Amino acid sequence: MSETRPLCINAVVNLSDRTVELIETPEEVLRKFVGGRGLNMYYLYKYLKPQSDPLSPDNVLIIGTGLLTGTLAPNTGRHNVTCKSPESGALGDANIGGFFGPEMRFAGIDRLIILGKADKPVYLYLEDGKIEIRDATPYWGLTTNQTEIQLRRDLGSDIEVECIGPAGENLVRFACTRSGVKNAAGRCGTGAVWGSKNLKAVVARGTRGIPIHDPQGMLQKFIELRDYITKSKMIATLGRVGTPLLYDVSNYLGAIRTHNSQQTVFFDTLNAEEVHKYVLKMLSCYGCVVHCRHRNSYGGEGPEYTTEVLLGANIGVADTGQMIDLNNIANDLGLDVSSLGTYIAWAIELFERGYLDEKTAGRFLRFGDYEMSKELIYDIAYRRGFGDMLAEGSLLVDKFGPETADFLIAVKGIPQSDPHDVRYLKAFALGIATSSRGADHLRSRPTLEILDLPAEFTRQIYGGPIDPNPTSYNTKGRVVTYTETILAVVDCVGICKFICHLWNSPHNLNYDHYRELIKLATGLEFSKEELVEVGRRVVDQERLINYQEKGITRKDDTLPARYFDEPMPSARAKGSHIDRQGFDKMLDEYYELHGWDKEGMLPPERVAELNKLRDL
Amino acid sequence: MIVKQKQVYCRPALCTACRICANACAVVHEGVANPRLGRITIRRNAFERYEFQELCRHCEEAPCVDACMVGCIEKDDETGIVTNDDRCVGCWMCVMVCPYGGIKRDVVKQMAIKCDQCKDIGDPVCVKVCPTGALVYEEREDAPEEPFFTGPTVA
Repeated sequence: MSETRPLCINAVVNLSDRTVELIETPEEVLRKFVGGRGLNMYYLYKYLKPQSDPLSPDNVLIIGTGLLTGTLAPNTGRHNVTCKSPESGALGDANIGGFFGPEMRFAGIDRLIILGKADKPVYLYLEDGKIEIRDATPYWGLTTNQTEIQLRRDLGSDIEVECIGPAGENLVRFACTRSGVKNAAGRCGTGAVWGSKNLKAVVARGTRGIPIHDPQGMLQKFIELRDYITKSKMIATLGRVGTPLLYDVSNYLGAIRTHNSQQTVFFDTLNAEEVHKYVLKMLSCYGCVVHCRHRNSYGGEGPEYTTEVLLGANIGVADTGQMIDLNNIANDLGLDVSSLGTYIAWAIELFERGYLDEKTAGRFLRFGDYEMSKELIYDIAYRRGFGDMLAEGSLLVDKFGPETADFLIAVKGIPQSDPHDVRYLKAFALGIATSSRGADHLRSRPTLEILDLPAEFTRQIYGGPIDPNPTSYNTKGRVVTYTETILAVVDCVGICKFICHLWNSPHNLNYDHYRELIKLATGLEFSKEELVEVGRRVVDQERLINYQEKGITRKDDTLPARYFDEPMPSARAKGSHIDRQGFDKMLDEYYELHGWDKEGMLPPERVAELNKLRDL
Repeated sequence: MIVKQKQVYCRPALCTACRICANACAVVHEGVANPRLGRITIRRNAFERYEFQELCRHCEEAPCVDACMVGCIEKDDETGIVTNDDRCVGCWMCVMVCPYGGIKRDVVKQMAIKCDQCKDIGDPVCVKVCPTGALVYEEREDAPEEPFFTGPTVA
């Protein structure tokens, strides 16, 4: 079928004026940013008025699919939701799987750029190139699951939905964007931006196809890559038990964030095999060969490793069932579990230390109290009592006093997402310190260099010698730079990080695979160097947005005080902490490899290049 | 005449609802990616918790053959494969009579979308691409009843 369609169609929706304009991405820009996270950053920089209030109509909400999202390349169910974060005041960006991204592309829209604010609740309906702004009053107030179920009843079961829950509506600063029973664009409070725009949901139904440049070649490539990927032991285990497989490993090391990182070892009840007693079946996102998502027996999906620790160990809940219950509730309400679990644990520690009293908190706060945590989660989402206060997230540091920041496990105003206490793994620590969206492991997650791989092999991968000692500060800047770049490219392409090179195995898909897949799907040819440069450009663009919005420089690329000053208390990682001098050394190397100056600022030529592209 | 034939069978307990089968079918037969345009349908509802596979069973006595008013659906006597062709006028009678939901509508081209077991290009593509073994292509005497759930894990 000789269907033609531009590679990237963006719909600029202005909710204030109720107008929709379709624009194509020029090829020059597409080649520089590819799609997904990359083009989202480009358009955010283009449309965002500097220094806007994140919860005002001036904020720009971008939902953008990757260049390969929805095609036959493996694991292409992903897209990015981007805006200025109401939680941090800097860049807000989150990647989400499921089925919505592909459906949006089938509906003929590759990216939504949402401006302004609707005067009453609305949802967007996308079908075959058409976009309608519809009344969402009947859905306002429903939880995310209820919203989707109701929309399916009203519009037919073959739609895909992305929406917010009560948390987003009530402008909880760490509300997330949700799709399906579990998929979430979790981080940075994107849900609150939906809420601030009175946007309840986006619904897509697409009967159009995405033209594939070489269908037979694509099919052969898919089969080849599927066999290649599923041969990996790591992938097979992920498909069997999901991410909880990591719990045992971190716990053995003594690096599970427990009781707000005051402790680092927790009960075996959260081990993968315990969690699995509650699992009915493993499920996939769109086009996925890994199937790491659990359907649990408590009516929800999950938990991920992140949830089981942040709504388990970190707040002291050891009962597997109770933890899964909290997971389901947080998902349904539309809260980012990483931030939620960190803030609750932070509040409990502040309570224990006397910064908070029973009158302010409205209750006695203590670790391991499931009922209290559950109540608090509802109170946060509906902004009741103390929950209303906690819904402000890291902004509370101003209210509670600057010294309370030392107990908050966050960087740049965003709590740490990964359950791993990074005091032992130095590269990991550098990764969360420098990530463009706060303390986040999904920007770099360097863990592979510590495996027992031949030196020559790692030298080839990273383009320079690598010190495999996890506690050494040498060469970690190189490791982080490399992984950060390739993960940026993966987000642009729209492929899941679980099958990406260096994520869990050095044998997963790398630049050459992406080049081939892009060629087969779209006909566009990229060289490896070009793709690497795309990754670097995206990271630079994010750095520039962060500098423009919040003045982020070296002083912000740091870690929670606890990671520097308190040695880890238990097990094999006992005694580890981050040495300030060592950290500075890593930071210097990292900046140098990025071509940034000592303060972590972009060179003027790069700023000029990005500005020129913006003004195209 | 009843012909013993190889068929595509589903094993629901192994299906994770990735829709790769339907997408690959669309890519190979239509040159575009969209599982809606594939001949197999994976109905999924994460809230009602099912993944259900709908595909043509190439019935011994296929009601679609009788229902087609232009006569463009035929059952091959030798292979047993039921196919349609481009004389289709989009009246959707076949879609209506199929008891298994095995025929779909292409609303853009106004033609029925129907499985031909990839007879011109080898073994069925949907079976070739399935990552979990939820689809098999084999000759069965009596199709054993496949369970919906086998246990907590897949594949």
